[in-house]
Amino acid sequence: MNSYYAANLLVYAGVDIIALLALNLQFGVSGIVNFSFIVFQAVGAYAAAILSMPPDYAQGYDFQVYVGGYQLPFPIPWLGGAVAGGLLAIPVGLVVLRKLRSDYQAIALLVLSIITNEVITNARPFLNGAAGLALVPPPFSDVIDPNTETYQYFYVAMTAICVVLVFVVVNRIVNSPYGRSLRAMRERELAAMAIGKNPVQLKMTVFIVGGVIAGLSGAILVGFIQLWAPSVWLYPETIILFAAIIVGGRGNNVGAILGALLVPVGFEEVTRFIPSSFGPPGLIPALQWVAIGLLIIGFLWFRPEGVRPEPRHVFEGAPVREDLEDARAT
Amino acid sequence: MLAQPEVAVAANRPLLVADDIHRHFEGLHAVDGVSIDVPPGQITGLIGPNGAGKSTFLAVLAGTLPATGGTIVFDGVDITRQSAFRRARRGIVRTFQLPSEFARLTVLENLLVAAPDNRGDSLVGALLGKRYWIEDERRHTRVARELLARFGMSAKESDYAGNMSGGQKRLIEIMRALMLKPRLLLLDEPMSGVHPKIVLEIQRYLQDLRAEGLTILMVEHELHMVERLCDSVVVMAQGKVIGSGTMASLRRQREIVDAYLVG
Amino acid sequence: MDLYVAAFGFGLVGMSVIAIAAVGFTMQFGITNMINLAYGEVMISSAYVAYYVNKAGVTIWVGMIAGALFGAVFSFLLNRFVYAPFQRKGTSHIGMVIVSLAVSLMIANLLLPIVGYYSVSYQDTTGGLLRAGGIVLTTNQIAIIGVAVVLMLLIHGLLRYTRLGKAMRATAANPTLARNCGIPTQRVIDAVWLITGALCGLAGVVAAMNSDSFAISNGAGFLITALAAAVLGGAGQPYGAMIGAVIIGLVTELSAAAWAPEYKEVVAFGILVLVMVLRPQGLLAKRGALAAAG
Repeated sequence: MNSYYAANLLVYAGVDIIALLALNLQFGVSGIVNFSFIVFQAVGAYAAAILSMPPDYAQGYDFQVYVGGYQLPFPIPWLGGAVAGGLLAIPVGLVVLRKLRSDYQAIALLVLSIITNEVITNARPFLNGAAGLALVPPPFSDVIDPNTETYQYFYVAMTAICVVLVFVVVNRIVNSPYGRSLRAMRERELAAMAIGKNPVQLKMTVFIVGGVIAGLSGAILVGFIQLWAPSVWLYPETIILFAAIIVGGRGNNVGAILGALLVPVGFEEVTRFIPSSFGPPGLIPALQWVAIGLLIIGFLWFRPEGVRPEPRHVFEGAPVREDLEDARAT
Repeated sequence: MLAQPEVAVAANRPLLVADDIHRHFEGLHAVDGVSIDVPPGQITGLIGPNGAGKSTFLAVLAGTLPATGGTIVFDGVDITRQSAFRRARRGIVRTFQLPSEFARLTVLENLLVAAPDNRGDSLVGALLGKRYWIEDERRHTRVARELLARFGMSAKESDYAGNMSGGQKRLIEIMRALMLKPRLLLLDEPMSGVHPKIVLEIQRYLQDLRAEGLTILMVEHELHMVERLCDSVVVMAQGKVIGSGTMASLRRQREIVDAYLVG
Repeated sequence: MDLYVAAFGFGLVGMSVIAIAAVGFTMQFGITNMINLAYGEVMISSAYVAYYVNKAGVTIWVGMIAGALFGAVFSFLLNRFVYAPFQRKGTSHIGMVIVSLAVSLMIANLLLPIVGYYSVSYQDTTGGLLRAGGIVLTTNQIAIIGVAVVLMLLIHGLLRYTRLGKAMRATAANPTLARNCGIPTQRVIDAVWLITGALCGLAGVVAAMNSDSFAISNGAGFLITALAAAVLGGAGQPYGAMIGAVIIGLVTELSAAAWAPEYKEVVAFGILVLVMVLRPQGLLAKRGALAAAG
């Protein structure tokens, strides 16, 4: 079904763009190496799911076991997903972002991602463990039949609206004096403190805002694919997003969008055309991961600033010079 | 136009009083009971041999490093427990020994980012959009450009600060500090590694700033510089103060000359 | 109560395994400033090398040597061709972390098609349980404890009494100064990667021996436990890593007995977070060790 393929592609693209705009805000602009990013998307998806699903016993005894099940209509699941992402960011941020140096922060968040996945997998009554949640009702499914083409395009439109919304929000943050303070903190935290910036407050804010957006992306995704399990949000998923930021270009929203289109989307689409019978089972996904690793290492070596580097901010009335150099980046 | 600091109530009262400051870290007593008074509207030098603890002491005053003992009172307020960014907001601004420019921000942005009172410098302000904060931004840009002109770096405003020379980076840091309208400027070897011509310029700027009422505490190695610039000097060695006063009076103190001053 | 005594016995084995891993990991960080997130994957690769050797009919103890050799060479090459070039290029700390993460991903996924997703285990050559006052351990487990003790003594001897060991300590404390004093830092670093790589490989094999079965997916768990012990002891401090291993080995086994065995890594993670928040420099803090952000 071509339209389903197109809709699928567009929704995934939209979700990836939203996620990457958030990650770029945290990592590219503010320098927070959030290796646990996927957990925030996951918490948004889970929250949206348990807000929109019927109670677990209603589906038959012990079919799925989970908390919640409030059967709330749109837009509450999506809002709930966004809020969940933001709420999770608070304790995590307070613990990790306050006193650790950046590589410790990164490791702590990475390990958090691994452990959270393990815990959810093992604690079945909470979110149905390894099997995850299925039969998540898509938004407005009581009004429009989700299996129609119309609904697919409707979903794409809703996703697009969210993309625009998130883009406006992130753009305003990044291209403002606040964004400049974030970048200064990223460049040299001690010097930023010496000019009156409060790095803990800046980091916490960005972490929470990023968490909210990540949660929203999860809610959008789960409403579309109608299921969510730990295998969907293993810790390497964050690495794909980091690869996208590194490839697309750090510190700027256009770079983030470019990265989204090149890496999670472009990558998937290109490898889709390799017949799945090629090699032993599981070879293609494994090689995809190898390619992601190569992409990261390759770009960090040859072009660390990405395809579209962070643009230089020139102010109106600046003297004109021909030999303006580009950013050196690491 | 530039720094309009509130002058201390009585011209005699020191702007900053550091009392018995200790800073030790893993058994090393970098600062071992240092007490100084920083008089307002003057340039005070902080000199001493390598390893005397001068930079550490400056860092403690600025709040970059916490003191392990002692108190710091700034214009009558005890700031010992305050973090560095709060002290900066109070008007204590430091520069660093090693170049600390924001490399991937332009020279102009390095100055703008330091400007306080920008409505766009908060999450809500940013979300409200450009129209909300553009006036503040324009105002600060004017001030920053005046500073750049004064320090002769107007042509570089759109260059990345990271691409500047060592001397230019020092100038950027000083200008950045000035954007905050500081009341006390803590300079850590501002001339280090700077071209002699620019050293003279920086010296002139500091004298101008002093004339406008700014208080400066300056760690410096170049004794000729100290002699020309500083109204008074504090000498540190091995974490302690071994003398203070004018350079002339210090030269008369035998122990100090032996310990440190040459010629 | 018997449960806890038995758990204590398992803790002895656990701490032995973790100690070998953690000391290697922490020395890599202490001397070459590299947080090698691919460490767990190298461990598991070495475990598989031993597995294939073992499958060919050779005793697992020879397999262990094979694993150690593989770990040594693999780690050395990894540094030579990936880490060191990036470090020379001036890549930031966090850039190196990302590089090592990418490497770990690649190792795991290059292995997967070769070894498959399913768990495997070694063929047990010796049977036999030993009991002492409520502790029940197999002879293999006792041997693992013995291996760990010997290795710790060797490391101690290396660091304390040999020229190489002193060169390592000097390089760890201040690489520029060490170089200026005539220490061939490049060769020291090569030696470090060989030695810690051997520890890494060995640790992987004994960790696999100590489990019922293992698969590629265990790599992350290995890394977390080694990391937790290293950070607890003080990053870059080999003796600290040993202490950290003792604590984590015991605490995880006792908690497994008290609650649930599948949450062992969660407990290790909990300890890691606690240490990072309360005392980031670890138990044996020293100059150059990690402290507050900056």
